[in-house]
Amino acid sequence: MDSEILVNILWLAFASAALALLIVSLKKNEKIKYLESAVDSLKKTLEEMDEQAKLIVRTDIALNKTQEELDKKLTGLYALQRLSRAISTTLEEKHIFRKIEISQLEDLGFEKACAFLWNEDAKEFIPYLHIGYMEDEIEYIRADLAEKREFYLDLISREKTISSISLQKEMGRLGMSKVFRANSFVISPVVPKEGDKGFIFVGAGVDMPLTEGDEEFIILLANQVSQALDNARLFEHTWMAQQSLERKVEERTQELSLALEEVRSISKRKTDFISAVSHELRTPLTSVKGYAAILIEEKLGALPPAVKERLEKINRHSDELVRMVNDLLDISRIEAGKTTMKLVPQDIRELTASVADLINIQCKNKDVELITEIPESLPQVMADRSQIERVFINLLGNAVKFTPPQGKITITASEEQGRVKIDITDSGIGMPPEALERIFEEFYRVDNEINQHVKGTGLGLSLVKHIIEAHQGRIWVTSIQGKGSTFSFTLPKIN
Amino acid sequence: MSIKAGLGISTDKDSIKAVKEAVLQARQNLNDTAPPNVAIVFSSMEFAHLTMVKTISSMLGPIDVLGCSTAAVICNAGIFRHAIAVMLLSITGDTYYTSGNITDIKYKTAMKAGEEFGEKLLAGFKSARRDLGIVFSDGLIDKSSNLIYGIQERLGSSFPLVGALAMDNLRYSKTFVYYNNAVENDAACGLIMGGNVNFGLGIKHGWKPLGKPRYITRASGNIAYEIDDIPAATVYEDYLDCDLKELRVELRRIGTFYPIGIYLQGEEEYLLRNITDIGEDGSLILQGNIPENSQIRLMIGTKETCFAAAEQAVNEAKADLTANSVFFPKINFALVFDSISRYMLLGRDAEKELDAIKKAVGPEVPVIGLYTYGEQGPLKSIDYHGKVYLHNQTISVLLVGE
Repeated sequence: MDSEILVNILWLAFASAALALLIVSLKKNEKIKYLESAVDSLKKTLEEMDEQAKLIVRTDIALNKTQEELDKKLTGLYALQRLSRAISTTLEEKHIFRKIEISQLEDLGFEKACAFLWNEDAKEFIPYLHIGYMEDEIEYIRADLAEKREFYLDLISREKTISSISLQKEMGRLGMSKVFRANSFVISPVVPKEGDKGFIFVGAGVDMPLTEGDEEFIILLANQVSQALDNARLFEHTWMAQQSLERKVEERTQELSLALEEVRSISKRKTDFISAVSHELRTPLTSVKGYAAILIEEKLGALPPAVKERLEKINRHSDELVRMVNDLLDISRIEAGKTTMKLVPQDIRELTASVADLINIQCKNKDVELITEIPESLPQVMADRSQIERVFINLLGNAVKFTPPQGKITITASEEQGRVKIDITDSGIGMPPEALERIFEEFYRVDNEINQHVKGTGLGLSLVKHIIEAHQGRIWVTSIQGKGSTFSFTLPKIN
Repeated sequence: MSIKAGLGISTDKDSIKAVKEAVLQARQNLNDTAPPNVAIVFSSMEFAHLTMVKTISSMLGPIDVLGCSTAAVICNAGIFRHAIAVMLLSITGDTYYTSGNITDIKYKTAMKAGEEFGEKLLAGFKSARRDLGIVFSDGLIDKSSNLIYGIQERLGSSFPLVGALAMDNLRYSKTFVYYNNAVENDAACGLIMGGNVNFGLGIKHGWKPLGKPRYITRASGNIAYEIDDIPAATVYEDYLDCDLKELRVELRRIGTFYPIGIYLQGEEEYLLRNITDIGEDGSLILQGNIPENSQIRLMIGTKETCFAAAEQAVNEAKADLTANSVFFPKINFALVFDSISRYMLLGRDAEKELDAIKKAVGPEVPVIGLYTYGEQGPLKSIDYHGKVYLHNQTISVLLVGE
């Protein structure tokens, strides 16, 4: 019985345990299913995230490419701007190409460059630039250019830019790549308005994605170079012309200096000669005049009237000769700077009055009116009185000489530009225009009727001119033939 | 502290004039009576490299010249694509250094060459404590990760080493390494310093993971054959919606902007690997090694994350430098190794990175640097014990101070 109960209890316990296990198992299964579902969900999410990552990467690549392109363009623009500035401020033809540097070229997206200009005289392409090439490579390119010069000259004449994107394989792209050792390249003509024309080549050894924008940059660069070449050539032309002009001016100045030196030398020789001769003449003249005077005064005995008359002639001519010699000596002294002007303040009004007294007798004798119109307010001048008196006497003497009876002589004075100007005007016979230029020359005498009859040395006006110039003044004459002349001169006024 | 630095730069087109100008400037800026004993030289490709190093030696006498070619030189005055930069160091007193080089790496294999190089560097540094190594190597050698492994075999896997892979002007044809009077390719040079040297290093790239994690299911050295059991290149074909041919055309852009990121436990950033080529079998040839079973992600970089990374790198270097000092130490000079990929991504904004560095270190600190095909530097997490790896897309900032 007991065993039966025990068996039942055991069965019951077993059934309970089985039930419990079943319940736990069911719950576990539920959890596993839940976890499996969660893992699946996570896996799905991860896969979705991975898909999103792919989208991100693809978008990022596109963005990076755009960013790179933009960066490249900006860098290129900056490089072009720097280059333009450097090139446009270069005025030497050979230096223009030297302004293109490897760093700027790299900023433009290229790594090598060369430029050639066609020389019409030598009938060949001359290299002006090479970056990224060895000398022998440039020679190789040059040889190829010589061989295909018609092609390149045609490009230049048509101002046509070519590149590895515009040029098809069959059109020689591969050949050019080989010659210039560049897979990607642009060739743009350099065509200044004047002088040698050519082209600039830029390239990259490795494959680089060349765009039309790159081509545009190089066209801009080539245009900039062309313009700079024009500017440089114009500048050189102008500069050469200026240099030539300066050379000519210098040559002429030198010639003039030499001529002036020659004139001065001749003038000095003349002055020295006159001075020497005058001195030599004065001594015997003094003797002649002295002896003549003794004889005239009949200290050595009475003279027949005919002899006396001749002796008086000798005496009179001796006086003229002495005056002439003295004038010559004065001129030569002033010219040689040996005569010092004793410059002291002078009142022109008073000075003219004193001279007028001397001249008045001559005027009256000839029935010529002498008028003096000097304003009281006229400032004083710095002058050597005796020398200026000689000037007045000379000029007034001439005026009396060439003014016919009933004529008049007027002395006027005024202040002009810090100087005092004195005018001596006569109503005389005047002078022909050609005489005006030569009137102050030594020994020059105007060819007129009066001069043919009245004696003169031709030294008076020359001496006057020398005296006025020694006072830092100026003298000139205006004249109308038949109506009269005006002699004007200036003297420095006292400040 | 006994390391002083003077910087010079020249953009003259004539090699001799340029190097003379740079050296004279550097000598003047060094402003020290002690003669310089180390010259770090970076130059763009167009200069006559041999003439350049010989001119330096003839100008400065016996001096250790170390450096390499690059696509652009970095210095305080800016980034120059056509320039020579020279930094003269006067290392005296209780700071020691030794320099060395290795040639014929391909022939010797990168691993063996690395070991030999490490031994050379160690030879002059047996008794003193060694603190820091700087290495410049040919940027086009295969398996450049192995060169690092080889050096580590001799200097220790946790020895702090920073390095740069030399560049050409993006032709991927030939790069130059300078050591004393010689200019070599397929070579490396470097120096290790010890004694009293305080330095801080920051390496960051700023690239972020994108898409679902994947696994390298078959790889060997620097070649990833399969990702998730399918040819590795298929992942890129799928992501970019293009075939293998189109992928090859766009490889340089893709390799730069969307590298592979290897997940590293404990590291803030993924370790990046540039794709340098695509195999006929659809495998991806990477610049550095990639271990099998690595978890990887496709990475994406933006200008903003790039700038942020540059700031983080220099700040990390500053924090590193300060770690052992109570007061902020004086920075004597900064050395910057910047990936050319960053230059390509940043384009016209590249100088903003330099601005961030200059702002962080101050205007008086001479900064010299170069763009590289790859950077070498230690990982910082505990899991990697400061082990040095080859990086891509990073900016490494090394600050040496007092």
